[in-house]
Amino acid sequence: MKKYAYVGPILFLLIWAAITGFHLVNAFFLPSPVAVFGKLLKIFSDGGIFPDIFATLFRISVSFIVAAGIGLPAGLLLGGFEKAYRSLEFIIDFCRSLAPLAVFPLFMIVFGIGDASKIAVAAISSSVVIIFNVAYGVMHSKKSRILAAQIMGASRLQIFRSVIFWESLPQIFVGIRNAIAWIVLIIIAAEMFVGTNVGLGHRIIDFQITYDLPGMYAAIFLTGVLGYVLNAIFALAERRIVHWSGK
Amino acid sequence: MKSLISIRDIRKSFNGGELYGNLNLEIEAGKITSIFGPNGSGKSTLLNILAGIVRHDGGIFTIDGFDHREFSYIFQNYRDSLLPWRTNFENLALPLEFQGKSREFIAQRIDELQKLFEFDCDWERYPYELSGGQQQILAFLRALITRPKLLFVDEPFSALDYGNNLKLRKHLQAYFLAYRPTIVLITHNIEEAVHLSDRIVVFGSKPAKVIASVDNPLAFPRNIDTLKSEAFHRTKDAVLNAFLKTETI
Ligand SMILES: Nc1ncnc2c1ncn2[C@@H]1O[C@H](COP(=O)(O)OP(=O)(O)OP(=O)(O)O)[C@@H](O)[C@H]1O
Ligand SMILES: [Mg+2]
Repeated sequence: MKKYAYVGPILFLLIWAAITGFHLVNAFFLPSPVAVFGKLLKIFSDGGIFPDIFATLFRISVSFIVAAGIGLPAGLLLGGFEKAYRSLEFIIDFCRSLAPLAVFPLFMIVFGIGDASKIAVAAISSSVVIIFNVAYGVMHSKKSRILAAQIMGASRLQIFRSVIFWESLPQIFVGIRNAIAWIVLIIIAAEMFVGTNVGLGHRIIDFQITYDLPGMYAAIFLTGVLGYVLNAIFALAERRIVHWSGK
Repeated sequence: MKSLISIRDIRKSFNGGELYGNLNLEIEAGKITSIFGPNGSGKSTLLNILAGIVRHDGGIFTIDGFDHREFSYIFQNYRDSLLPWRTNFENLALPLEFQGKSREFIAQRIDELQKLFEFDCDWERYPYELSGGQQQILAFLRALITRPKLLFVDEPFSALDYGNNLKLRKHLQAYFLAYRPTIVLITHNIEEAVHLSDRIVVFGSKPAKVIASVDNPLAFPRNIDTLKSEAFHRTKDAVLNAFLKTETI
């Protein structure tokens, strides 16, 4: 089946090349693939894009570490004490539903306009996603294995460590992958605001202001690659760790 | 007769439907007692109540000197009780790990049990890579690893072919003679019940109740020749006749 994976992208490039080749739309709005990938090559070969990639990756990584650092323990704990989770359920659901960028101006006042506010928004709003999924995974883990451990005389802590944690691992991964997607979205968007001169989001706006559309497409493409690669890494980790899934 | 478990007038309903009105049963210490009965007659529920997993609505039961460390229970859905994130070895080790036993102790116990039951598999692989029958044997051995004084087994051989079934019956008897646990065994197989037990309790359904109790005096160990013996068939017929009293087939 893997070989079919190439069909879509190749078809996409062909159609794109045809549209620009036959001048079906204004070349200003849609530059040719050659122009876009030429630009991409250029910003890599002159090294101009690296600071942006590193800055964005740095913000994403720190946000993720903070989000996981808050979300995993909090989710495991809240899931383990269902009454606590039920008490906070409304708040968690509300925060989950709140558009993260709505609090960005507030965070800028509190954390300043630099990286701290961007990271704080991304980390805090995605930690809620992790908390929700992890707690859900803990609370909905299958009862039969927990019962079996209880029968063996295991303590609550032993049951949590040896059964419930593992039982909820697939759902923990759902939370982590959702969180990464959120973080990429928030960081890229936040970089378009103020307070930074580097970052892929900033680059997109920069190219837009100078009407460099091949550059803009190239930066958008890079943003996509970044999100895709991050997701692929966690998907791989999940397949490795949750080797029993679906079996 | 010294009974380990006494069940007096146990009542249980599910969603308004009565399963037992008043169930009475004594289970002797150091014996194998089989429970034989139709689907839905409340056999698993009884073990669940005794194990403290399911609440009963009335009556009392006592289990002398009950201790979780000396008790094992293999569920009917044994597959769901193996941990797929643990290797076969780690699954077998789990109850002893909970008891804080050392690695050497665990390895030795596993080795002994594996030899006694002549069971081998790739210990570093996972339960989902075993056949259904192998998974069942693994779950069975896991219950024995702590050398429990009281053992509940719900259909422990349901996934085994006849050969393996006979083999496991043989090994279980050897284990039983060596450690003398009290075993309560649920089975749908009359031959298995008569082969293994000191007493066969026949359950009837609607409402669930004990309709007969058949003593089986055959000496242990019981081998293939015992299966062909006249005494064996007499006991088997007695169980069958008790069963046919309530079931119309
Ligand atoms: N959790 C439950 N909720 C509702 N009804 C239940 C529940 N557990 C058991 N029952 C009902 O109680 C009855 C007895 O169930 P039980 O599992 O004890 O039967 P069993 O004798 O073990 O049958 P089988 O031979 O099929 O394993 C069944 O009619 C079943 O529908
Ligand atoms: Mg049952």
